[in-house]
Amino acid sequence: MNRPGLGRTGVVALRVVRQLKRDRRTIGLIVFAPIVLMILFGYALSGDMSGVHLGLVDGGGHDALRAHLVSIQDFDILRLGSESDAERLITEGQLDGAVVLGTDGVRVLLDASSLQIAGAIAAAVQAGVSREQAIQGTVGGLQGTENIINTRYIFGYDLKMMDTVGPAILGLVVFFFTFINAAIAFIRERSQGTLEKFMVSPLSRVEMVSGYVLGFSLFTILQSATTLFVVTALFGVPLQGSALTALAVVLLLGAGALVLGAFFSNFARSEFQVVQFIPLIITPQIVLCGIWWPLQSVPEFIRPFSYILPLTYAAHALRAVMLKGAGISEILYPDLLALGIFFLIFFAAATLMLRREVA
Amino acid sequence: MREIEPAISARAVTKSFGRQRVLDSLTADIPSGVTYCLLGPNGSGKTTFIRAIVRLLHLDGGEMSVLGRPVSEVDKIYSKIGYMTQHKALYPDLTVQENMEFYAGLYGLKKQQRVARLEELLEMVDLLEHRGRLAGALSGGMYQRLSLACTLIHEPELLLLDEPTVGVDPRLRQTFWEYFGRLTEEGKTVLITTHLMDEAEKCGMVGYMRAGRMAAEGTPEEILHLAGLRPILKLWLAEPERDAAQLQAQGYEIEVEDGVVQVRLESHAQIKEVLAEVSPLDMRLVEPKLEEAFLRLSEAA
Repeated sequence: MNRPGLGRTGVVALRVVRQLKRDRRTIGLIVFAPIVLMILFGYALSGDMSGVHLGLVDGGGHDALRAHLVSIQDFDILRLGSESDAERLITEGQLDGAVVLGTDGVRVLLDASSLQIAGAIAAAVQAGVSREQAIQGTVGGLQGTENIINTRYIFGYDLKMMDTVGPAILGLVVFFFTFINAAIAFIRERSQGTLEKFMVSPLSRVEMVSGYVLGFSLFTILQSATTLFVVTALFGVPLQGSALTALAVVLLLGAGALVLGAFFSNFARSEFQVVQFIPLIITPQIVLCGIWWPLQSVPEFIRPFSYILPLTYAAHALRAVMLKGAGISEILYPDLLALGIFFLIFFAAATLMLRREVA
Repeated sequence: MREIEPAISARAVTKSFGRQRVLDSLTADIPSGVTYCLLGPNGSGKTTFIRAIVRLLHLDGGEMSVLGRPVSEVDKIYSKIGYMTQHKALYPDLTVQENMEFYAGLYGLKKQQRVARLEELLEMVDLLEHRGRLAGALSGGMYQRLSLACTLIHEPELLLLDEPTVGVDPRLRQTFWEYFGRLTEEGKTVLITTHLMDEAEKCGMVGYMRAGRMAAEGTPEEILHLAGLRPILKLWLAEPERDAAQLQAQGYEIEVEDGVVQVRLESHAQIKEVLAEVSPLDMRLVEPKLEEAFLRLSEAA
């Protein structure tokens, strides 16, 4: 009868250490991935925001509130002539919100599709009005801040967290699965020898990668249609624009995820190692794409990364289509253009890497 | 056979991986329309040579031509080449037929042509009844056969087969060799690597590789000659000493062992001449083995 022994446990432990020692990537992952992720999460969750575009329609009065808003460094204030200008710019996505100062009170116009930014603007206005009232000595009197501030959401309905996050989740789901599946598929092409056989056939590398894009697109359509249905029908996320426009965005994102997966498959030797890409490739996109936290709350030195990640653009476009009813022409620039460029870059990279593999 | 322009011609071809020289000034001529067997121990460079032929790796030096074209242009004639790797290159989650249809599509076979070709090959590799099975569910030998069928689907002029008969039972191996024979009759060239000497003996030509070089190349008979091996005719005679002396007087190379007279023949044609001299009670022809020839050649090198 074998009793559990320290000796044999030690043998197993030694073997594990030896194997890990030779797997430099895993060691790197164990050490650096948590550091990177904690930094990303830490900054993103710190709640600080910058680069919030706020319109200000100055109808007189409210000196203390105006001074307070202007003093907030995170707000880029744009002075406007009329409330209708403010409304238009918010609809076009140029402004995150606007404050209209008037003798009859303060009206706050907010873009409801990002709750965090709307919250930050509302909080700033509230603080400004409180300060104003403190100066006037009317704190806690009949005129509470609520009576002075009149808040209006430009998109006309009360959005919940799920409503603003839902469209982006649609993109995330497709990106995640397509990336992983594509990377695994290409690793299999290598390990089962089919890739080598392709190289000695009339099939060109471009044809091969294109074939994958085409084949996977069918599943992307199926996957995004299902996800779209669940997000809208089950969770009641609004779909103001066309479902086809949303699918077009997701297809382009999926194509980008596929070629990215194909490209990164060159750096993995097994399906197991593909899983290791999740914290490196997928998680940063989740943190930085503006789904959970607005881009404005991503610290400025990290923000450039946000703007090279495809999910950032897909999430932005999907929100515009689903929450604001945007059509193709309105999301063409920068979102679809960025997704298209991302796809082309990694399509080229993936095809070039196929050659290097065998040369 | 050898005067026809070679299907593959390599001149002082070299290839190193890091410090290890895998092909070392390799020179070889693989004639058109023959089955050419590439033999050699593990690590002798056989697979590297095949991969260099299809330009899956670039040579460090030397010259090579494939089907009359420099190796740098071999990608233009990929449709004329059938390449079977040791990895088998099949999709386990597709059926036998789907795998074949996929490769037929890659080479642009038209539907009618494809259907006929599929039937013919499935029959040859004895998988007609299994066409609907998933490739992943096949036995090792069946998997191998399917891989061969997929390699042959576009009727290539030049077949490069890396260990095609591993795990295939002897009866089917026989079928394969008959099929290769038919292909060479049609003028096609078959280059095979194998570890099995008895397979090498069935080939029109044999190349023996050692340490990245071609140690010996020729028909099986030429290789045997090179190694100094001849067929031996064993004779059981009524008066062995007298007959042995008579044969020796005629210039035959004779050895007597336990009363059995052994005659080393120059060729099989000599059997008749020997039998004109003596009338044996019994006799047996012992053919030399290629294996022994290669052992001798290795030792000599």
